[in-house]
Amino acid sequence: MKKQASALPFAIGIPALIWQVLFFYVPLVLIIISSFVKLSSAGKIESFTFEHIQLFLNATYLKVIASSLLLALSNAILCFCIAFPLAYLIAFRGRLHRNLFLFLLIVPFWTNFLLHVYAWFYVLENQGFINNILMKLGMIHAPLQMLNSTGAIMVMMVYYYLPFMVLPLYTSLERFNYTLLEASYDLGGSFFATFRRILLPLSGRGIKAGFFLVFIPSFGEFAIPELMGGDKKMFVGTVVSQYILGEGTGSLGAAFTLISGVFLILSTIALYIVLTKLLQPRMYRG
Amino acid sequence: MDRKNSLGKISSLVFVSCTYLFLYVPIIVLLVFSFNVDRFPAPWTQFTLKWYHELFQDIYLWQAFGNSLIIASSATLISLAAGVGLIFYAAQGGKIGKTLGMFYGNLIVPETVLAVSLLSFFTMIKVPLGLITLILAHSVLGLGFVVPIVYARYRELDPTLTEASLDLGASTLQTFFKVTLPLLRPTLTMSALLVFILSFDDFILSYFCAGSTAQTLSLYILSMIRTGVSPVVNALSSVLLFLSSLLVLFFFSLKTRIRF
Repeated sequence: MKKQASALPFAIGIPALIWQVLFFYVPLVLIIISSFVKLSSAGKIESFTFEHIQLFLNATYLKVIASSLLLALSNAILCFCIAFPLAYLIAFRGRLHRNLFLFLLIVPFWTNFLLHVYAWFYVLENQGFINNILMKLGMIHAPLQMLNSTGAIMVMMVYYYLPFMVLPLYTSLERFNYTLLEASYDLGGSFFATFRRILLPLSGRGIKAGFFLVFIPSFGEFAIPELMGGDKKMFVGTVVSQYILGEGTGSLGAAFTLISGVFLILSTIALYIVLTKLLQPRMYRG
Repeated sequence: MDRKNSLGKISSLVFVSCTYLFLYVPIIVLLVFSFNVDRFPAPWTQFTLKWYHELFQDIYLWQAFGNSLIIASSATLISLAAGVGLIFYAAQGGKIGKTLGMFYGNLIVPETVLAVSLLSFFTMIKVPLGLITLILAHSVLGLGFVVPIVYARYRELDPTLTEASLDLGASTLQTFFKVTLPLLRPTLTMSALLVFILSFDDFILSYFCAGSTAQTLSLYILSMIRTGVSPVVNALSSVLLFLSSLLVLFFFSLKTRIRF
């Protein structure tokens, strides 16, 4: 028997909603509006305009968006390729050390990520760890230039986002009924067939969650490309932060945020459809 | 068959070790150089603790550290209080199932977009940027975690427990505080910890919403990195790594799991 909600519980429950609307949805709507608004020098709204949007609809900026999408997608795929076997091994083969493996995975994840960027400087620098080892082994004679490159950006991205992929995969594999795999092997299924027809489809939820947890934030990433790539390549996050923090270019930043947001939504939907298709259980035909 | 199995074992061992090496080599190199007398890129020469000494004398750093603590605890308190309030309303018969979808947005919208939107919002309503705006921004981030996690656990609670309490004459208020809330406590602790860490380590929201007066630890580290390599940052890293391993241990000891 439930009582009808009275005024007091409502008053206690409502702040969360107000908070969420006021500090989440209002700002989002605001940024959409401000990309269509022309401001006078005093900061008053003068007129509505499509100028800001049009300014960005050209090859240069579309390329920036494309390279961000590519960065996010390749990051998600690379993370998946490492995370899936890792999550599988921790969940099914880890046994006693399961918690240790998870612990070692989460500790760096819970430490300020700028420190990891800094740590990678030590590894990739001209006099850094890798160059030092390679020189001592006599494999190279001059240090390899590894920082300020797309490769350095990619390494850092995978390093930082890996736990975002491993944890949801692990959660779904941990609940996975291992006897299903054994049944498949017993019935003569090869490793690949078992993986493709049973393991992948049945861990679909975790895979999708992992992909989105990596794909969406990597799209807006601006600190890693700037610090590891040395400002050589432009990404969405770089452009947005430059315009938003620049003097008097706020509405341009808003417009570019809006445009890239639309691209992000569309590509996320596309990714969802593709993943659903790929993860469908495939039956024997004929 | 046996040979195939041991081959599989070896290759999985190699794979796992390589992955963990990838994760830990940078950290270990970093820690080693926090004890070196000379600044990087000089090679290892002699053991010292002077960088740790310098670290603990850096007033600005500890100010930034304190700010981050204030922001993270306030954001955690706000999002936890608001989240529990919402659950309280649901427990008293309020219907929140439909409005709940609103909180999933925080996970879907990239943080950069949220940060940029909040910055324009704060500028427009003329709230000066600083600690307050940072707390507000981080509390929104926190709500997006607290509400879905706690509500999912609330839905899983055995309804016969609250029914028993009501049948035995407890009021709805007593039932909430004596039955529902204690049952939710592990989940509440866990999500509070999660929000605290997210806020404490947050960089993107802080970068946009801090203004020029409030310095958080992330922003301070950024400025230290930009001015070049300093072993003080290495010393800071080892202190922070130690603190976060303590937190992770605490997290593991809770033995509750998070589900959305």
